[in-house]
Amino acid sequence: MGKYLLRRILQMIPVVLGTTLLVYALVFALPGDPVKAMFGDKPVNAAVAAQIRAEYNLDKPFIIQYLLFLKNALTLNFGNTFAGQPVISEIGRAFPVTIKLALMAFVFEAVFGVVFGIISGLKKGKWYDSVILIVSLLLISVPTFVTGFLAQYFLGVKWRLLPVTAGNDPGFLDLLMPAVVLGSVSMAYIIRLTRSEVSSNIAEDYVRTARAKGMSNRSVIVRHVLRNSLIPVVTYLGQDLGALMSGAMISETIFNVHGIGFLTYQSILKGESNMVVSIVTLLTLIFVVCNLIVDMLYAALDPRIRYA
Amino acid sequence: MKRRLLAVSAVLCSMGMLLAGCGSNGGSDSGQKDSKSVITAFDTEPQNPLIPGNTNESGGNRPDSLIFAGLVSFDAKGKASNEVAQSIEGNANSTQYTVKLKPGWKFSDGTPVTSKSFTKAWSYVANVKNAQKCSSFFSTIQGYDDLQKAGRLKGDEQLAGLKDVDDTTFTVTMSKPDATFPIKVGYLAFAPLPESFYKDPKAFGNAPVGNGPYKLESWNHNTEIRLVRNNLYKGNVKPKNDGVTFKIYTKVDSAYADVQGGNLDVLDTVPTADAKNFQTDANLQAYNQPGSVIQMFTIPSNLPHFVSGTEEGTLRRQAISKAIDRKGIIKKVLNGTGTQPVDFTSPKTPGFSKDLKGKDNLVYNAAQAKELWAKADAISKDNDKFTISYNTDGGYKAIYDAMINSIKNTLGIDASADPMPTFQEFRNAVDKRSIKGGFRSGWQPDYPSAENYLFQEYDSAAAHGNGSNDGDYSNQKFDALMDQAYAAPSTDAANAIYSQSQEILLNDLPAIPMYYDNAHGVASKSLKGLVADWENMPVYSQLHK
Repeated sequence: MGKYLLRRILQMIPVVLGTTLLVYALVFALPGDPVKAMFGDKPVNAAVAAQIRAEYNLDKPFIIQYLLFLKNALTLNFGNTFAGQPVISEIGRAFPVTIKLALMAFVFEAVFGVVFGIISGLKKGKWYDSVILIVSLLLISVPTFVTGFLAQYFLGVKWRLLPVTAGNDPGFLDLLMPAVVLGSVSMAYIIRLTRSEVSSNIAEDYVRTARAKGMSNRSVIVRHVLRNSLIPVVTYLGQDLGALMSGAMISETIFNVHGIGFLTYQSILKGESNMVVSIVTLLTLIFVVCNLIVDMLYAALDPRIRYA
Repeated sequence: MKRRLLAVSAVLCSMGMLLAGCGSNGGSDSGQKDSKSVITAFDTEPQNPLIPGNTNESGGNRPDSLIFAGLVSFDAKGKASNEVAQSIEGNANSTQYTVKLKPGWKFSDGTPVTSKSFTKAWSYVANVKNAQKCSSFFSTIQGYDDLQKAGRLKGDEQLAGLKDVDDTTFTVTMSKPDATFPIKVGYLAFAPLPESFYKDPKAFGNAPVGNGPYKLESWNHNTEIRLVRNNLYKGNVKPKNDGVTFKIYTKVDSAYADVQGGNLDVLDTVPTADAKNFQTDANLQAYNQPGSVIQMFTIPSNLPHFVSGTEEGTLRRQAISKAIDRKGIIKKVLNGTGTQPVDFTSPKTPGFSKDLKGKDNLVYNAAQAKELWAKADAISKDNDKFTISYNTDGGYKAIYDAMINSIKNTLGIDASADPMPTFQEFRNAVDKRSIKGGFRSGWQPDYPSAENYLFQEYDSAAAHGNGSNDGDYSNQKFDALMDQAYAAPSTDAANAIYSQSQEILLNDLPAIPMYYDNAHGVASKSLKGLVADWENMPVYSQLHK
């Protein structure tokens, strides 16, 4: 297990290097000049523009800019934003908010997804199974920004049940609506995944054997059916935690949550490559670590994987 | 069974704790609302540290214009009156000014505002080594050119034209006549800076110390900027609230929803999607009145068949202009959030006249448009496609589609809009002069003067990359009038000359005015004192509950 872990961690190095290079190239390839755009419709003082470019290394060729970024990043210096703030402190401010939001969405989708999925799977064909299926289909097919705006308008503006936007230092209630909106699509997928797994496992030979041996219905379902059904669900959930972090962008801009998505959106608009690349690197790390945890969990859930 | 009960109660417990946590949060919120005198307002994250000379966009301008006070201030209508200045007196041809300061002004840290607070600050901004975005505003002051050679400068060189006589008097020598100077100094870039600024300008920009009606309490980056009343301020502004908290957004839509939901007091714009309803929404109060921004499109002066100064070019420009049904577009596409233009400045500009000769060229007239186009075709037949470029990230699509349709249907020519995805890309193409057709051009003034619209956009000194004359328009008569206006003995005399110069523009149409952007926005029902100023912004200091 230790060797396996070490190998996986070493694999992360090329993944992170490759991602940063790719993202840096993409931001670099964005059309337009962020320094000129700072002047808006107003006349650009060429000498001033050159000074600003030099200050942020924007006057150097792409590969030099990238190497400089890497060199600084190794010493944990991610540079400054155009507003003169260290990138690292901006991320440090926004990250906890996104983690809070993503975890709330995660708990929501995991709990409701699995519970409704099991109910559906065990009681296939009943009316509540159909209702759950229809609702999950709706959630999957409607884009997040539509559900977001609808929720905001009805729950926030019209009926005043929840705060319209999250704003500064958001608490549980402030984040409830954005988290539910963010987690709703994944929840729908989890319902469907769990449902199909449960309903196919329940017809398996080992379930019949267990029942024949006189095991109670509850033990059969908990020990055999659920344990086996949850393997793909855990895989999905693990990968989704990373996706939630990065996918928070839409939800964060709609509900004005000052997290990573909000910061990324703003930085892309301003062409702040250091900020964008730093955030993406961080998200890549999260993805890789989540995957690692999923693989470890696999081993715990299924002994065959452990001994292979 | 027991174990399960335990699990359920654990979940309930943690839910309870979370709820309790947010309960205390809500408590502090309502505590804030009890002190009713703090107003919350929309803002975007400032692009740069809050240094006046480096602030040229609204995200930084909103807070900065409350933190700093200049020599003069403008009222809501754009009329200038002395603020820190006791008097600003110029000589006969506006080449030298003597500025006297009112005694006793202090920065919010208690240090005095002296002549040096101005002259040193202006030199700092003008000095190219310091990379301040507003440096070109000082270009008419003597010594500016010497401060433009980055290689030879250290950053603390002073403008040769500025001389401190004593603590409350200084003189300004211009390199060429500048009658607008006494108005220009009301622009943010001319604000005074305290001595503490020079020790660490970047740190200062995150915690600016000014002499304006408000002072910065905290700037939580990407989240909010809190301003509170500055008790040391003694100028023209009489705040009716105890503070303004700017909440930072990336999307106007969420700010609009916040105003509807009572989470935000004032938003100085309206999302395109809500333009139709914002004036009738019962949850809001709204304002919508002619403003200072003019929206146009420029036709490059050397565009084949449209060449400026030639008979054919002039006929075609007039034909295109008359083929646009501005009234219809303003009503249907803008839902009344614009105003039919009659000149090249705006109704909020001092000296504005709605009776200039040639203003008919900005009025829709299908028959005349066709006639003018036919006359031009008689000189030389134009079979080229006519395009107008614009950036799609500014919400102009519907307007440009409508406008192109109007031109196409009226003149029966092959016209189309050429959308470009981002503002950055669009500006790049404009700077490179690579657009072969018309292109969007909007102008938001920095200070309320016709000069700020006309010189920057149409004088040949501002063409070919030296300013914002992006169409490279050049007309000697117009240039001569600009020079005359700069040397005029008074603002009124200058304004008369500016009117004259606009009649040339109304004939030549270097750019085609489309509409004045209305100052429009929304506020919560309970807010009082909502007025828009000449910059299309609410007068924050007058808002109260």
